Amino acid sequence: MAAQASFRAPSPLRLRLQRWFETTGWYVLLVLFALITALPFFWTGLMSVRQNSSNIFSARKPPELLPYPGMIGWGEGYRVALQQGSYDVPKEEATREQPAGSWHDYAPTWQARLKGTGLEPYTFPATTQNYYKVWRDIPVPRYFANSLLVSICTVALNLITCSLAAYPLAKIRFRGRSVVFSIILSTLVFPPQLLFIPLYVMAIKVFHFDDTFYGLILPFATSAFGIFLLRQIYQGIPDELLEAARLDGASEFGIWWRVLLPLIKPGLATLAIITFVNSWNDFLWPMLMLSDRDKFTLPLGLSYLRGFFSGDLQSVAAGIVIATVPMIIFFLVFQKQFVRGLSGAVKG
Amino acid sequence: MTTFLRKPMLRPAAKPWPRMSVLEQRRTITAYLFLVPAFAFLIVFLFIPLFQVIYYSFTDYDLLTAPTWVGLENYQKLFQDDLFWKSLFHSFIYLAVTPILIVLSITLAIIVNRPLRGVYLFRALYYIPVVISAVAIGMIFNFVFSEPSGLINGALRQTHIIDKPIHFLTDPKYILYSIMSVTVWRGIGYYMVMFLAGLQAIPEELYEAAAIDGANRWQQHLHITVPSLRPVITFVAVISSIAALRAFDEIFILTNGTGGLLDSGLTSIFYLYRQAFRFLNIGYAAAIAVVFTAITMIFSLINLHFLEGKN
Repeated sequence: MAAQASFRAPSPLRLRLQRWFETTGWYVLLVLFALITALPFFWTGLMSVRQNSSNIFSARKPPELLPYPGMIGWGEGYRVALQQGSYDVPKEEATREQPAGSWHDYAPTWQARLKGTGLEPYTFPATTQNYYKVWRDIPVPRYFANSLLVSICTVALNLITCSLAAYPLAKIRFRGRSVVFSIILSTLVFPPQLLFIPLYVMAIKVFHFDDTFYGLILPFATSAFGIFLLRQIYQGIPDELLEAARLDGASEFGIWWRVLLPLIKPGLATLAIITFVNSWNDFLWPMLMLSDRDKFTLPLGLSYLRGFFSGDLQSVAAGIVIATVPMIIFFLVFQKQFVRGLSGAVKG
Repeated sequence: MTTFLRKPMLRPAAKPWPRMSVLEQRRTITAYLFLVPAFAFLIVFLFIPLFQVIYYSFTDYDLLTAPTWVGLENYQKLFQDDLFWKSLFHSFIYLAVTPILIVLSITLAIIVNRPLRGVYLFRALYYIPVVISAVAIGMIFNFVFSEPSGLINGALRQTHIIDKPIHFLTDPKYILYSIMSVTVWRGIGYYMVMFLAGLQAIPEELYEAAAIDGANRWQQHLHITVPSLRPVITFVAVISSIAALRAFDEIFILTNGTGGLLDSGLTSIFYLYRQAFRFLNIGYAAAIAVVFTAITMIFSLINLHFLEGKN
């Protein structure tokens, strides 16, 4: 019987189930994973536009998940607007008692619109006040500029040093090549935290790097991983090309600059992106190096913001949104390079 | 004349440092010139610190007065330090993120490798956590885990599944696992892309042949996908376990820089940080660094041996 059953053609139900899984089932899984990925971000976004610290979820009333425009505006005078419905003092007319700001409460109009739709208990008025508070109290643009400066310098130095060092290791036959290469490779096994202690002592005592950007850039100016990655890519370039250039009388430096660099641009982009993301997100080392708040990078600034607004979770959420959205946009623009970079690292 | 005579006699390859021709000399000098910038940085910021950390581990040093030599004292203290062993134990528990990450990211890679409409959007979405700093993610998960009405506790209470909130970040039993789940969440997209690259390198014919032989999809994945991905699995296992041992930012943010109630979220790296930069016990922290690095390296080697050995 069992043998017979296994040879039987699939029943219509099984076939239908199978077909359902081939199409809809995959999407169910995709959406499930997407929710797990996206919900924490949505949650933070929702928190960042809440007017007060009341909870979104509650055991006694429906969850307030849908924002509608409430107190919208920018500048000071938010508290006045809460009582009067609006506040509008242009910059030219601002005084000490009446600081500049423009707020308007759209909540009554929207409440009227939502009345009777059945959605009402699920909605809450959204505000821009948390974003303004973060903008006023925390020099976010400055932290951005600091992070950008540090990351770009680190990337530039890495591209130069790694692409220079990887060239002879891949393409010039010289004495000691294998020794030099194994020394570089062996450094890959040492975790950076092992070195943080002596690096810290060195940075503070020898170079006096504390509270300078040099301290954030120079220790990461080159990387064994970068040299290794670019060497793999150089090796893919045919030797004939170099021989031809040599016959034309090009110097080794000329070959590197004019022939090779243009050819390994995708590899350089990969290294640039990996280095940029690492440098941009680095936390522990900048925390050790910097105490001057004006020099903070973005992750440090975020950590500082959390302490500053400790009880005011809505403003902390607004700070997180301000700090992460540019990086998400950056990723969406350079998506292809990001993914290719990682895949390259696997093949390399 | 002499060179002409010597040449055939002394040229055998066994001679370690035969004289170089002018051309060879110039080539070698050029090669080293290319290496100078990278090596200058490597020597100052890597090789010298490497020797220094070993030296510091034999000293008593607090940054203010000069280090004094104490021999093996730091190491003796280390082996009797319960907190160190506890942190080491936590670091090893933390390693459980590696198999979880591998299974989840392979599954996800197989799904997004299918020619479904809109799958590119999902791929991009899954990857987003990778580009966001661990600090921001830690803070986001503070909201997710918070009591009484964070995302998880709020939703569970709203739906009356639980009455009392779960103490994700305040119960010593849960802290470490809560933090580990953040590391998993943050890493899935990263390793998914690596596995995706590996999947796309598998020739389609293998699957067709297996389908003709009557293998169902599950069998195909078990007998074709997983073996073909073995090199990528090895790679991911090594880098993700090293990353797990080094995890710091999430722990710092989610425990408010304390290491958790009763040191329940204290890993070795965090203990090292605390000894070195909070208590300024540089010598003792250097000893922790040396021992922990040695353990990490041994672990990586075993890992490699185990995963490669099956081939």
